[in-house]
Amino acid sequence: MRYRFQSGAEIYEVALERAGEVFHATIAGQTYIVEVLDQQPGQIRLRMDGKPVTLHWAASNSQKWVAVDGCTYLLERPTAARAARPGGESGGETVRAPMPAQVRAVQVTEGDAVAKGQTLLLLEAMKMEIRIKAPADGKVAKLLVQPGQAVEKDQTLVLIGD
Amino acid sequence: MFEKILIANRGEIAVRIIRTCRELGIQTVAVYSEADRRALHARMADEAVAIGPSPAGQSYLDVERIIAAARRSGAQAIHPGYGFLSERADFAQAARDAGLTFIGPPPAAIEAMGDKGRARAAAQAAGVPVTPGYQGEDRDETLRAQAALIGFPLLVKAAAGGGGKGMRLVNHSADLDEAIQAARREAQHAFGDARLILERYIPRARHIEFQVLADQHGHTLHLFERECSIQRRHQKIIEETPSPYLTPALREQMGAAAVAAAQAVGYQNAGTIEFIVDPAEGRFYFLEMNTRLQVEHPITELVVGLDLVEWQIRVAAGEALPFRQAELCQRGHAIECRLYAEDPANSFLPASGPLLRFVEPTGPGIRVDSGFTTGDEITIHYDPLIAKLITHAASRPAALQKMAAALRDTALLGLTHNGPFLQAILADPDFRRGEVYTTWVEEKFGGWQPPNCALPPAVLAAAALTHSELTARSAPAAPAPGADAFSPWKAANGFRLGE
Repeated sequence: MRYRFQSGAEIYEVALERAGEVFHATIAGQTYIVEVLDQQPGQIRLRMDGKPVTLHWAASNSQKWVAVDGCTYLLERPTAARAARPGGESGGETVRAPMPAQVRAVQVTEGDAVAKGQTLLLLEAMKMEIRIKAPADGKVAKLLVQPGQAVEKDQTLVLIGD
Repeated sequence: MFEKILIANRGEIAVRIIRTCRELGIQTVAVYSEADRRALHARMADEAVAIGPSPAGQSYLDVERIIAAARRSGAQAIHPGYGFLSERADFAQAARDAGLTFIGPPPAAIEAMGDKGRARAAAQAAGVPVTPGYQGEDRDETLRAQAALIGFPLLVKAAAGGGGKGMRLVNHSADLDEAIQAARREAQHAFGDARLILERYIPRARHIEFQVLADQHGHTLHLFERECSIQRRHQKIIEETPSPYLTPALREQMGAAAVAAAQAVGYQNAGTIEFIVDPAEGRFYFLEMNTRLQVEHPITELVVGLDLVEWQIRVAAGEALPFRQAELCQRGHAIECRLYAEDPANSFLPASGPLLRFVEPTGPGIRVDSGFTTGDEITIHYDPLIAKLITHAASRPAALQKMAAALRDTALLGLTHNGPFLQAILADPDFRRGEVYTTWVEEKFGGWQPPNCALPPAVLAAAALTHSELTARSAPAAPAPGADAFSPWKAANGFRLGE
């Protein structure tokens, strides 16, 4: 059986074949001998080419998280083409919230000319102040948030026009 | 001894205090905000009381609600943990006024040390060296004039501050105004107090602090140092003891200075004197005193062999410390790594979300203080600290080796965390030699990216095997609410493409 996963921009394929007590897993042209030593909810212990390895996993919606050696990897269903972010409307820049947060202060108004690196607004999350800066020189074409407002990750905050 | 204690905190520290109370046979009362209705500390305590909405200002920082909860529950004492109300003299006073014991120092000592300006003055009076700086009336013009006298680089700090909040490093006079405004805003919001002080910035300084413990009978001891130079954004992420830098002579001098500073304000209970050490000159300066239990207290507990929360409770109940300075010693080496929900590859932005799975490392010499379990949620309302991994061994290399193994054995699924970043620091040759300072992480690891971009084959094999009807015998924990019932991920055949 073949499985496909996407992690970041990369697509990976795994071919899995039962061979008696073990599996043959072919990844990127290389075949590994994999024995499933034990399994319990969220955990699988393998012997892979003779070496024991314990992995933890969890699935949520169309994502699967797998951790090994203290590092966590996020695998997703491969998509034909990752949807490009609808940025750059009207040739400008879209400024988005890097994380869920609250708008603490807005330092520009619509129509203001801004310089690259200038602080546009301040967000606060987890007791930390985050400065949102202009990604390029331009004009504030649209200001979409107000002080005190809660914003979601990736929510559009400001549109910068030319 | 108290029969019932209310814990005015959340997360790992509330859980850690509950553990000691259980050992001592003391009943515990937890308080929780709306967001923490199902939180671990509320689940573990004997009783749990709702104290308001999710924003801390309306719950964990609400003095009246917490005092009312303590009185209603019949608790005799309040343990404030760290953060939140732990360093608020008015809270300690309100507890007293309500007939409750505050497990911490007297309100006057909190007040004296809580204000960075007054603390500097008290330390100076006790003969403890402080860095050149300015404390006092703080209009913008005054600060500008004083900054010019101190010289750049300098630090603008919230007088009421701590943990790097309301603090700004200013390299050039041109950046001073924006730094003052930002520090004031952050200070006002975090502490409800916008006053600022200035301090000369010492480049490549180490942060070394001393744990003190004082009873109500005039005994003030120090429990040696903690090296806390590994910081990002002025917040500690790795701490260890003993410090690889200190000589026995300097340790003794700094320990004596710590005791003197604590005594100068009539300190009682557990506290921490923070020093910055200028390695170029081998000199140390009083930085501030934290009048509470410290996040990194476990490393001291392991090396000195005392339960600090237990002694906080005993001292607050009026017991005298039964040991003397000469009886205390440092056994072996301990190190702590703070596991945060944050993205080290993206300016350490905090992450939030469900902990789909959290597996803690175990083994000899490994201690984990965590506030969450699988299924819990890290919310945007509070600090992103998930857990502290602590290891203890006979020597520094052995403790580091144990920590590296503990980090590898930790599994944290569902959100971005700093585990791989902590691993990278532990593997660094400078760190291994102990040659670090407070801006070292920023200088050496600025722009850090996770090293392995290619997925380990074992991850792909496991992903396929846990997907396959050939091996599928058990499903992981219940999917998150809103999981797509038609998701191919739930079907045994997954994205099978054919034989």
